[in-house]
Formats: sequence, C-alpha cells, structure tokens
Amino acid sequence: MRGALALAALALAAAALPAVAGDYHVGVGLGLLMYVALTQSWTVLSGMTGYVSLGHVVFYGLGAYVAVLLWGEAPLAAIVALAALAAFAFAALIGLPALRVRGPYFVILTFGLAELAKYVVIVVEGWLGKFSRVIFGAPDIETLYYIMFGLAAAATLMTFLVRRSRFGRGLLALRENEEAAETVGVPTVRFKLLAYALSALIPGAVGSVMVLRQTYFEPAQIFDPVVSFTIVTMAVVGGSEDMKGPLLGAAGFVLLSELLWANAPQLYMVLLGLLLIVFVLFAPQGLSGLLPARRRTP
Amino acid sequence: MIRKLSIALAAAALFAAPAAAQNIKIGFSLAKTGLFAQAVPSQLNAYELWREQVNARGGLDVAGKKRMVEFVQYDDQSNPGNAVKIYEKLITDDKVELLLAPWGTPHHFAVAPVLEKYKFPMVGNTAASVQLREIKPGNIWFVTSAIPDKMAAELVAMAKANGYKTAGIVANVLPLAKEIKASLVPALQKAGIAVKVSEEYPPDIKDMTAILTKVKAAAPEALFVLSYPGDSVLYAKQAKEIGIAAPFQFVAVGPTMDFFGKVVGPSANGLVTMGHWSPAKADWKRAKPFYDAYVKKFNEKPDYLDTVVSYMSLEILEQAVAKAGTDKQKLRQAIASMTFDTINGPVKFQGVQNAITPTAFLQIQGSELQLVWPKAIATSPFKAKTGW
Repeated sequence: MRGALALAALALAAAALPAVAGDYHVGVGLGLLMYVALTQSWTVLSGMTGYVSLGHVVFYGLGAYVAVLLWGEAPLAAIVALAALAAFAFAALIGLPALRVRGPYFVILTFGLAELAKYVVIVVEGWLGKFSRVIFGAPDIETLYYIMFGLAAAATLMTFLVRRSRFGRGLLALRENEEAAETVGVPTVRFKLLAYALSALIPGAVGSVMVLRQTYFEPAQIFDPVVSFTIVTMAVVGGSEDMKGPLLGAAGFVLLSELLWANAPQLYMVLLGLLLIVFVLFAPQGLSGLLPARRRTP
Repeated sequence: MIRKLSIALAAAALFAAPAAAQNIKIGFSLAKTGLFAQAVPSQLNAYELWREQVNARGGLDVAGKKRMVEFVQYDDQSNPGNAVKIYEKLITDDKVELLLAPWGTPHHFAVAPVLEKYKFPMVGNTAASVQLREIKPGNIWFVTSAIPDKMAAELVAMAKANGYKTAGIVANVLPLAKEIKASLVPALQKAGIAVKVSEEYPPDIKDMTAILTKVKAAAPEALFVLSYPGDSVLYAKQAKEIGIAAPFQFVAVGPTMDFFGKVVGPSANGLVTMGHWSPAKADWKRAKPFYDAYVKKFNEKPDYLDTVVSYMSLEILEQAVAKAGTDKQKLRQAIASMTFDTINGPVKFQGVQNAITPTAFLQIQGSELQLVWPKAIATSPFKAKTGW
C-alpha cells in the first residue's frame, strides 16, 4: 500500500514537472523517464529470464529509424506506435534463433546484433543517398516529455503485471532451471520469445521520441552501445527483482550524472565503475534489495 | 601565508572593482570525452586564445562598454542529445549572454532548434554538410566554405586543370566523407575522368592493406581519400609501405592538424587536403598575427581547419557584439548583415552560409601547408606528389 502511494506521488510529481520547471530541468526529467522506460522493459527479459541482453539499443535505434523515415508523413501518435510495433516485430523475428543460446553466448549475440543493425542501417541510408538526417519541425519538449512519461508508466505497469501473471512465474521458473521448467509444462520457447518481444516494444517507442528530441539522425550515434551498457548498469545498481529497482537505478544514475557531469566528467565514469563493482559484490539485489532490509532493522 | 595572499587579493579586488564592469558570461559545450574528444583541442584552443587576447585588451567591447570574458563550459560526451540539454541549460539556467558553437556537424544540427526556440544567435564553426542549407536562417550561421558538394566540384576542377584522366576513391562511411563522395562521382564522370577504383571502409578501420593493394593495381592519377584524422594517418603510413604513386593525393581531414605532420613526417609532403586558410596569405592582415600568437601560447601550429573556423566565429561574434551589444534581435541583424574582417579575409553571410570565402585546398609542401587552389588565392602552385 505504502509502495503504491509512493509510486502515485512520484507519478504526480513527474506529471507536474513541465508546469513548474524550465526546459533544462524538463530535459533532465525526459532523460530520467527514458531510462526508467528502457530499464523496466529490459528487466522483463533479462531480469526475469536471466537472458542478459547487452544490445537493447538495437530496439531503440530501430524505433528512431522508423520515426526518421515517417516524420512528416504520419502523425506523431502513429509514429510512436509504429516504432514500438516495429521493434516488437523485429524482436519476435530475431528472438527464435537468438534465444537458442544462453549465458555469455546470448550476451555477446545481442551486442553483436546491435552492431550489425547499425551497419545495416548505415548501408541502407547510403543506398537512399542520405548520410545523416536533420529533422525539421520536431515537437516541443513538453509534448515529448508527456509521451515519455506515458511510456515510462506503461513500462513500469508492464513489469508489475508480468511479474504477477502466470507468464511471469513461468519466466522465473525458466530462469532458475530451463529444463525443469520445460518438464513441468512451462512452454519455455514461447514464453522466452514473448518476453523478448515485450522487452523490445517500449524501447522502440522511446527511440522514436528521443530522435525527435535530438532532431539529428546518424546511425552510428543512435545505435550507441553506451545506451545498452547504461541500461544494464542501472538494472544492476537499482536491482531487477521488482519494479522499484529500475526506478531507483535510473533515478540514482541520472541524478548523479547531472550532479557530476558539469564539473568532473572523468570522475563520473570512475564512480560508475566503482558503483558497479560495489553493487555486484555487496548488494547483488541492488538498491531495491537494500530497502526492505533496512526497514526491518530498526 | 594564505592569509597574506587573501588580503593581497582582496586589496587587488578593491582596486580593480570600480573599473571592472560585470563579466560577460559566454557558454558552450564541447566533446571533451567520447568519440570526438581528440578533435576538441583544435576548437577549445581557439576559444582560450581568444578569451586571453580579449581580456588582455581590457575585455570584450559590448556596444562601447568593455567587459571581461568568462566562459561557462560543459562536456557533452560527444553526444548530440547532451548538447541539446546543455544549450537549454546555458540559456535558461546559467543565463549566459552569448553562445559559442559545440564541436561537429551533428552537434550544430542538434542545437539549432534550441537556438530557434529562444531566438538566440550563435555563429557556428566546425560543421560542414550540404544539409546545413536546409536550416532556417536567422539564429545560426556557418563560417566554413568546405561544403561537401562545392568541395567535390573544386576537387574535380583542380584534377582536370592538372590534366589527370583517371581517379580512385577510398572513403570512410561517416557522413562528411559520404557527402563528398556522392557529389564527387558524378562530377568526375561529367569531367571525363574515369573512376578506376572505389572502396569504402568502416570508421574504426585498423588495416587498409587490402584496399590500398587494389588502389595500387588500378594506379589512378588522382586519388581521393575521404578520411577522418585517425584513418588519414593510417592511410599515409600504409600508402607509403605499399607505394601508392598517384601524383595527386587528396586526404580529407587530418593533414591540417599539427599531430599529423609529427606522426607522418616528411613522407606527407605533397598531400592535398581540405582547408581555406594560410598564414602566408599576406592580404589577410589578421592571419599571421593569429598564427604567431597561437604558436606562442600552445607551442604548436594551429589546425588550419578547425582552429581557424573556430577563431573566425569568435572574430565575427566580437565584431557584431561591438556594434550591436548583446540584445538578441540587434545582434542577429548585425551578424546577418555586416561584413566581418577575419583571419581568413572578409566574411559576409547569405542565409546561413559564408558567401565570400572560396572553397579551397591546401598542400603539404615541405614543413608548410600552402594554399594551392583556387589559383586566385593560392600562396604556392600545386606540385605533383613524387613518392613518399
């Protein structure tokens, strides 16, 4: 109950931000919501099934590319929806072969897939005679912020619902032991595939919004592996065992980076590395794993 | 000790206070870390040299009133999305009075809508793309004359004037290289110059041997290497090993930077590159003093491309502010309408583009970079490359 109240309060604060803050702070909020949406989506696959994706930027990039191709041709809502669907369909297509491998092989495969997609888009853009694109007449930041707010809320809700469902329990079962889960009747192939596609859906939409924010599209910069790394880092620091984790991880990281970025960018990267090590060693459940324990102690 | 020092400082401040008007805050973001970090010193050095010179003159002349220049700068980590956020912060949060440009085409394009929204004028520098013409004029201007399609046309004109009949192209897949290539191929065909070999390579290439072996076999007279700084060095090293013998070798980005000459050495002699400036151009009165001041401060040569366009953007801003002050509307009009005296000669804008500075090329001749094309502004005639 308290959790729900806290969440509602957070949502209210996020919704009110553009009314009270300037563009800069709205921009910071936009970045925060973006990582909430991406990290929540990521946990549906990697948190729940143990298949760690190190290439989630591929869906973000595809969504961005869809938006770039359709900008000016279709209304904003349709673009965001189509970007999400494109990422979903791509994941469903690629998931069947990709999810046949596990552990480090899957990690490498997802990373490679994102790089492959990047170079394919570079080649396609070359054929189209476009080497980078400038987007004119993009929506203002408030509009983008509210769309992103919706996406972050949807991703959080999705994580929550999946966890409570039969489907989610099946995913957890296959994470612990895929063969055993299969034996007791969990349709592991179908479940994994659905988890992969669901984890791609919202990142596609997020990519479409962020490219409209940047107003400049160049494949090598949109398919930036740092986005994938940041998602994993946030999930590790925040925890991916419940829907609080990605919220805490994204908030902690985005705010920390805002505080440090201005004066000490190098220190920021050092801190990032240190934090990761500390959390992996001492708090494998992340920030969210620490919270209830602390509440019980007093 | 510290106490004495602080007393001295306080005393100095007391004396200085009545004379000094409020500092003028000038903001910008730079790619201090990330993919473009190695390109940034060329630009930042120009900014720092300018600030030092202006403050040594008693401050920036703001419509008749001198004010000391103070920079507000952030690292955008080579990410155009961060640059957007930073310029919003500079304008709305730090409330800077003037803006300088970030590094590179993507960042210029990314911040253009922010400038448009706040009607905040900014003179761009290190951006070159055919797409910049599509940007709505009024809040951003581009000083460069190295626009890819114009460059391609001039490169072909230069090859033709020297009687070359065959060509080869080796191109990076990044936007600037691809834009040049897209205009270069049809222009070569039109001029009757046969393209004997054309290869592309990824940005992080580590070995060009296979590509250069093909180039050697095709033996073009004019070779266009559309490269970026890192791969330009790679090209120069491996072309020497393999023995690329083309008398006309154009290497797009890199040879204007000081490190290039240091790394490649005398074998770079004869390479042609992008660039429209030389300190040897006597009728550009400000060119040589700038060069000398730069060498004195940094103990190396300026980058004839990025440092020069960056410094030009500052000269333009300085002259416009001297006339119009910091009122955005007046400043915008001043930048759009005045003719500026820069280290690269006079500059006047038409739309978003520099309408005066010609598209030109430099050649490494001995230890100097000479303007060799177009002939009207050349500081030395083009000399065919005779080996490495």
